[in-house]
Amino acid sequence: MTSTPMPASTAKTPVAPGSVAPMDAGLQSGPLSSPPPKLATGAPMIAIDNVSKWYGDFQVLTNCTTQVAKGEVVVVCGPSGSGKSTLIKCVNALEPIQKGQITVNDTKVVDKATDLPKLRSRVGMVFQHFELFPHLSITENLTVAQRKVLKRPAEEAKKKGLDLLARVGLSAHANKYPGQLSGGQQQRVAIARALAMNPVVMLFDEPTSALDPEMVGEVLDVMVELAKEGMTMMVVTHEMGFARKVADRVIFMDRGEIVEDARKDDFFGQPRSERAQQFLSKILQH
Amino acid sequence: MNYNWNWGIFFEQSPEGTGTYADMLLSGLVWTIATALCSWIIAFFLGSLIGVMRTLPSKGANAVGTAYVELFRNIPLLVQMFLWYFVLPEVLPQAWGNALKQLPNAPFYTGVVCLGFFTASRVAEQVRAGIQSLPRGQRLAGTAMGFTVYQTYRYVLLPNAYRIILPPMTSEFLNNLKNTSVALTIGLLELTARARSMQEFSFQVFEAFTAATILYVLINLVVILLASLLERSVAVPGQR
Repeated sequence: MTSTPMPASTAKTPVAPGSVAPMDAGLQSGPLSSPPPKLATGAPMIAIDNVSKWYGDFQVLTNCTTQVAKGEVVVVCGPSGSGKSTLIKCVNALEPIQKGQITVNDTKVVDKATDLPKLRSRVGMVFQHFELFPHLSITENLTVAQRKVLKRPAEEAKKKGLDLLARVGLSAHANKYPGQLSGGQQQRVAIARALAMNPVVMLFDEPTSALDPEMVGEVLDVMVELAKEGMTMMVVTHEMGFARKVADRVIFMDRGEIVEDARKDDFFGQPRSERAQQFLSKILQH
Repeated sequence: MNYNWNWGIFFEQSPEGTGTYADMLLSGLVWTIATALCSWIIAFFLGSLIGVMRTLPSKGANAVGTAYVELFRNIPLLVQMFLWYFVLPEVLPQAWGNALKQLPNAPFYTGVVCLGFFTASRVAEQVRAGIQSLPRGQRLAGTAMGFTVYQTYRYVLLPNAYRIILPPMTSEFLNNLKNTSVALTIGLLELTARARSMQEFSFQVFEAFTAATILYVLINLVVILLASLLERSVAVPGQR
């Protein structure tokens, strides 16, 4: 497709060469999550209680305990292999745990009586590699789980999906397929897809790590907006700028342990542990 | 070589009295196609099920799937044909065995079941390879959306896996079609069997098998054409 003039507002969103992305309106105003969750009340939305996990003999998580209050934004960081992605995947039971308990919105994750698909449908998850379903159009990606899991009527699901797509500025791509969008656009669709399920909490697993640098901003914009609306978020990321801007708390993990769990200002001001100090000095020096 | 070529043989009456030699070959072709299609239906659905079982987290499902595949792909097709046709009725309770032996068209039904089960083991491996070639995150994403295991396979994994394995599945279909000729050993009057009887009746061996060869090639070309049309119609925009 030849280049179509882009609206001025999107000039900051360059399109990767070769990708077909003629129109990208960028983040639009209006609510992303509905109904907007209330601000932090202190009641834990996610409670991680003394969680340990092993892969065979190898212990990947050791006695992890933390809580995420309703409306709180918690950034989880740490060196690679520290268990941060594993921890976040335990929250919606994508990974089983061998010891401890996790409670999400008053539902126990480790409990035979828990309807895990139902629990997961209320926990939005965004992956490093987007994981849009490649054989489905963008609209179908946004609606398939609404229809098959939440049993919403097709019309209602479509309206919800297209509203969110408009909100992330990608209405023009509704009938395209994931392979036709840039990485940043795919990740915004992935966020919209998760939001279409009306989640009570959103989990982000390194949502910008697989993106070209110029596309990181457009994804973070959506996440910042979501945080401002009061969505409960647990975000594994190395984007310290994002953490500074919107995080309430920062959790630092190393070798499967939660080494530091501090208010943002304390963490960036004066991390107590030496390991966190080293980590921060390494990632902030460039 | 002292051989009397006679290409007009196809239009001569066959000693069976039911038409010309050409009619005889064509009726064989019809049985070949019917056997291939019916056995493919078994192979496709059973093979998909077994292939999926081998990708499930359940150890039991895995073991059953593995046992099936190793049993059915490691015994020669010809031996399987004999086992189904000659041995099975003897080892079953007598009443069942007799019922099987008296089945009208027994060679057809036996051939279909035998080929279906044999090819299923091969289809299962294709399906397993297709599913395992998908990024691990696809399964996670489906699960995280709240899909059950069944829904994850139905809406996410299988539609992608089938697209990936369409070319080797076409080969399996062609193999299955050609393997129908093995069923002549249990008395199915398919194309190869018909070419043989034409040769025995008329002694025109070259004409008979030239015709059979051409018919096999033509039917396979039609399959390949249909498969490439299917491949094009399910291709996902923006991929490859």
